[in-house]
Amino acid sequence: MIITTRKDNKKLLETLDRYKSFYLIGCSECASLCGTGNDEAIKDLTETLTAAGKTVTGGMVPKTGCQTLGTKIELKKDKEACDNAEVIIVMSCGAGTQSAVEIFPDKPVYPSNDSLFLGNMTRFQVFDERCSLCGDCVLDMTGSICPVTNCPKGLLNGPCGGMKDGNCEVSADIPCAWIRIYERQKRLNELEKMEEIAPPKDWSKSQKPHSLRMREDKKKEKKAEKEKKQ
Amino acid sequence: MSFKETLQSGKFVVTAEVGPPKGTDIATMLHDMHLLKGKLDAVNVTDNQSAVMRINSLAVCKIAIEQGLEPILQMTCRDRNRIALQSDLLGASILGIHNVLIMTGDHVSAGDQKGAKPVYDMESVQLLQVVDSLNNGKDMYGNALKGATDFFQGAVVTPEANPLEPQLMKFKKKVKAGAQFFQTQAIYDIEKFKDFMSFARNYPVKVLAGLVVLKSVGMANFLNNNVPGIKVPQALIDELKAAGKEKALDTGLNIAARHIKQLKEEHICDGVHIMAIGMEDKVPTIIQRAGLL
Repeated sequence: MIITTRKDNKKLLETLDRYKSFYLIGCSECASLCGTGNDEAIKDLTETLTAAGKTVTGGMVPKTGCQTLGTKIELKKDKEACDNAEVIIVMSCGAGTQSAVEIFPDKPVYPSNDSLFLGNMTRFQVFDERCSLCGDCVLDMTGSICPVTNCPKGLLNGPCGGMKDGNCEVSADIPCAWIRIYERQKRLNELEKMEEIAPPKDWSKSQKPHSLRMREDKKKEKKAEKEKKQ
Repeated sequence: MSFKETLQSGKFVVTAEVGPPKGTDIATMLHDMHLLKGKLDAVNVTDNQSAVMRINSLAVCKIAIEQGLEPILQMTCRDRNRIALQSDLLGASILGIHNVLIMTGDHVSAGDQKGAKPVYDMESVQLLQVVDSLNNGKDMYGNALKGATDFFQGAVVTPEANPLEPQLMKFKKKVKAGAQFFQTQAIYDIEKFKDFMSFARNYPVKVLAGLVVLKSVGMANFLNNNVPGIKVPQALIDELKAAGKEKALDTGLNIAARHIKQLKEEHICDGVHIMAIGMEDKVPTIIQRAGLL
């Protein structure tokens, strides 16, 4: 899930200083689990804004804030409250915020959160990064522990000279990803995988902005099939 | 004879490192280079060591040549992507720099530019392969070069890494990727180093033992507690202690000289690499006490 934290209230109020009325949009998925976009978060920000002399015209927690079409439909029932607000505040991730930009082309849209990383919830409200969406997965070679993410240098060919007693030079709190990989592969009798030289990563697969257009691709496939038959 | 020829001839070689200064005043560096001239087989020029921003290694290597020293260009993967690394290697080549030491590089968080983006587009093993490719007239994508490079390429290894086996596996990868010589992280325990060498001797590479000069008991403790892969044995700490504060540095120089002598006389490795870290002017004393001058 996308891990988010709330921006500092004081800074947020400074950013919103020139506006008077707001509509708040949360998200029932990641931002709810992070406590940044659930009902409680909406209530909390409503209180903060009200205390600062602002008006909150309404708010809702759509099912999936980054699902643009679904969120647009859900917001229809709150049209009046949305219309009455000068500004939309989105309490989810940067993706959810930009879905709102598409839904409200003529209104300012502001984020209440900072988006941090793609995280695993390892315990309740404890989030750890395991995958950095590099587009060129190497887990098949690394005992399914990602060095691109778990090693601060993203090394692909073993530990660096900064490893100390199994931990990282960046912080003794970070276990060396390559020692973890080594120990796992040793346990699984797969150590020979560590002997293979991994080539430099193909970062062109991580070129921004990413998009995956399955509908268009399927259409193209169908069209090609049709032409083939004819 | 060049560094490569000397090393390949079987002669015991001595290298030391020069850290480029932070700023454009290079008077002290030039003075150190003058002191080192004629006493070393080559001089390593570090690449923004500890991620602290300084003059780049390439420019200082060129100055070293002008001062009559043969440079080893240290290249880390921390600050440059594959385009910049290859481009700098070509640039080094036309400036007459023919030795490179390839390493991953200390993380940005160790240095004085903490908000910098760590690059690591490639890492040591992969960059060694790229150097090999440039030597064969091709860039890393197989495009032909108008004029190949002629690098003698080295890498680093930490013989006292804990755990050790993954480090040895990486050593093997570096050999496979084209490393021709190794300069090690600092070693202080010669008997343990012999164990490492009995492993390294299975591979067709030359090994220079890394030596960091001990200045004080405090420094020895600092190395033990903070620097990955360095272990100063208690016996050496006791030796420094017994010498007293005023004679600690002199004792440290003696220890380094004694180790060099032993490494050479017992044919344990192919040479030594002295890291004086700010005391480059003391390097000639060490070499002299080791009986190599």
